[in-house]
Amino acid sequence: MPNEKVRCHPTVILEKSLKAFSSAVMFLILLFVAIDSSAIVTVLALFLVALLLFNYRQWKRTTIQFNERDVVVERDTLFKMKKTLPYSKIASVNVNRDISNRLFGTSKLLININSGSSATVPEAVLTFKQDIADEIRSGMSRRLYDHTISPEEDETIESVASFSPMDVVIHGLFSVSTYQTILGSAFLAYSLFELYVSTVAGFQVGGKALVPLLMFVAVQIAPSVSLIFRYYNYKVYRRGDTIYLQHGLVRTYKTSFNVSRINAVRVKSTLAARLLHRSCIEAEVVGLVSEGGGSSRPVLCLLKDDATQQKILRELVPEFVYERNPNRQPEGAKSVLLIRAAIASLVVAAVMFYPSVYVYREAAALIGVVGVLGVALQYVLPLVTALAILAIIYAAYVSYRVAEFGTGEDLFTFVNGAVDRETVVMNYDKVQMVRIEKGPIARIFNVARGSVYMLSSTGSASISSGYFPENRLAAVGEIVMERIASGEYDYRENSI
Amino acid sequence: MVDKGAPVHEADEGGVGYRRLNRKCMLSMYIGYAISYTILLGVCFLLRSYSQGFLGPYYDFVQYACLAVLAIALVYMVAAPPVYYARYRYQITEDKVDVRYGILVIRHILVPIERVHQVEVTRGPIDNMLGLGDVTITTAGGDATINYLEIEEAEKVADRLNNLIGRMLQDRKSPAPTSLPGPAND
Repeated sequence: MPNEKVRCHPTVILEKSLKAFSSAVMFLILLFVAIDSSAIVTVLALFLVALLLFNYRQWKRTTIQFNERDVVVERDTLFKMKKTLPYSKIASVNVNRDISNRLFGTSKLLININSGSSATVPEAVLTFKQDIADEIRSGMSRRLYDHTISPEEDETIESVASFSPMDVVIHGLFSVSTYQTILGSAFLAYSLFELYVSTVAGFQVGGKALVPLLMFVAVQIAPSVSLIFRYYNYKVYRRGDTIYLQHGLVRTYKTSFNVSRINAVRVKSTLAARLLHRSCIEAEVVGLVSEGGGSSRPVLCLLKDDATQQKILRELVPEFVYERNPNRQPEGAKSVLLIRAAIASLVVAAVMFYPSVYVYREAAALIGVVGVLGVALQYVLPLVTALAILAIIYAAYVSYRVAEFGTGEDLFTFVNGAVDRETVVMNYDKVQMVRIEKGPIARIFNVARGSVYMLSSTGSASISSGYFPENRLAAVGEIVMERIASGEYDYRENSI
Repeated sequence: MVDKGAPVHEADEGGVGYRRLNRKCMLSMYIGYAISYTILLGVCFLLRSYSQGFLGPYYDFVQYACLAVLAIALVYMVAAPPVYYARYRYQITEDKVDVRYGILVIRHILVPIERVHQVEVTRGPIDNMLGLGDVTITTAGGDATINYLEIEEAEKVADRLNNLIGRMLQDRKSPAPTSLPGPAND
């Protein structure tokens, strides 16, 4: 349908109305309860009708035109809008299907442009019948990537590696950051403690146990379940210079992007994942945001054993593989990290002093808790504080041992993370800005930290190094400048 | 006669071509800090006047903490501007913007001109009063600011950056000269 003006599928009227209605209904009910109105049902019905009429008008007056060079989305309502998206600026065209799409047999076509300012919202979300959406995506892929993947091929093509449902569950459970897991566990422990205390003391189990339990679910369980739903049926493959991703249980995602759009590649492993000898790969790409929220950073490999992860890295993004010759942090860095750890330990001890005394007194006053358990309850916070201080000092030592910095011809690498480890491989040509910082302690030991700024999935991001000599870190900026001056940097390949 | 307020060329710390700020930057910082300190004093006064019932036995502790914060802030606000002025260096060459600054933490920022997307000159009310302005250089990955420039200097810096970017884009538009086939002496 080149140059022909089309509209979205009419089900968007119902979909948008219901979405707006559900987000406003609670507020309206609370408002009417407060003013004690009996006309609540009538007002809600009128509100829904008004929403339907509004969205009908929006739908009727919004047209989309797929031209030879661009896509034009035009809305002729009170607030007029004409959005022209040239194919040359489009970063990705992806297809998402949520529950309402499945019910109505439609798909959402998400068009993203390569922009930092709109990195967290798709530039256009267009709903069409599923087969039409697939056809449009296929046609646009041909324009964007010089080749096409038919919907049938999409289903049958082999993934670079197989990801079983167990891999997805492991990814969901163990790719959540360790700090988040510790926080969730602390909520769970507190909830159990409150439950135990109220049982022993014979009080009713009230909100004191329920609130931390809900927090545990929100911090720990919900993100894991969401990841499992998101990455179910995970498939990744590469055709030419384009990487394709498919996954999703309830909402399905079909994502593709050109490899030249990747600004950095991260190999990540949480503490739990490292114990299982697994790691995952993420790419920093702009213009892959989807409507469903969550991270817009594409995952190129779920938590897999290290050998498979390396194989996938080489097959999917060989552009980000090089012979690394990393530098470890100098001796001065150890002193800086230890002094910082000592200061952090002092702060923790000072902050925990009063709560420790409070819990000691409260536990001592509890009737019915005696013996070893009674003593353990009294000393639980001092013990936790001592463990936290030990953990801080150990983390400083591990951080010294782990942090690396390596420079290659086209790529350079930062390795960081005492608990959750991350190896970030970056291309000099994607670096936007370099910043080197020397704090008062670091100055004494002649070390500095570097931050590299680049366009990321969330707009812009900085990636920081460990402590290294300033001139060593300054080499990144110097190489970036040299590549621009010598013409090695090709702006056509790296244009934003 | 040498104008002590004018920016001067520097030949130390990183080589020739680094420039320093105008001394008026210290005055601007002192005025800004004085406003912040007044707000902080107001908060402490409100705490002292109205929080006794709410804080109960911790009232004295909070009062001492407020005094400590006020004393530390005062020392910092008095000492910071001269240190900031003494350390601030910036350099704009054909291919990069280089800024070195910091009070406790010393920062060195390098922005290749090739990556600059936008240049903006901004003036707050205090800077406006003192004839100063900031130049914010935006890239796709973040932005860097050259603070407290005299407004003429800020405009000059922005013009220079815009010219450099314009020239770079012009160079890209014009095709590279190619030699036409034909006799060598044509």
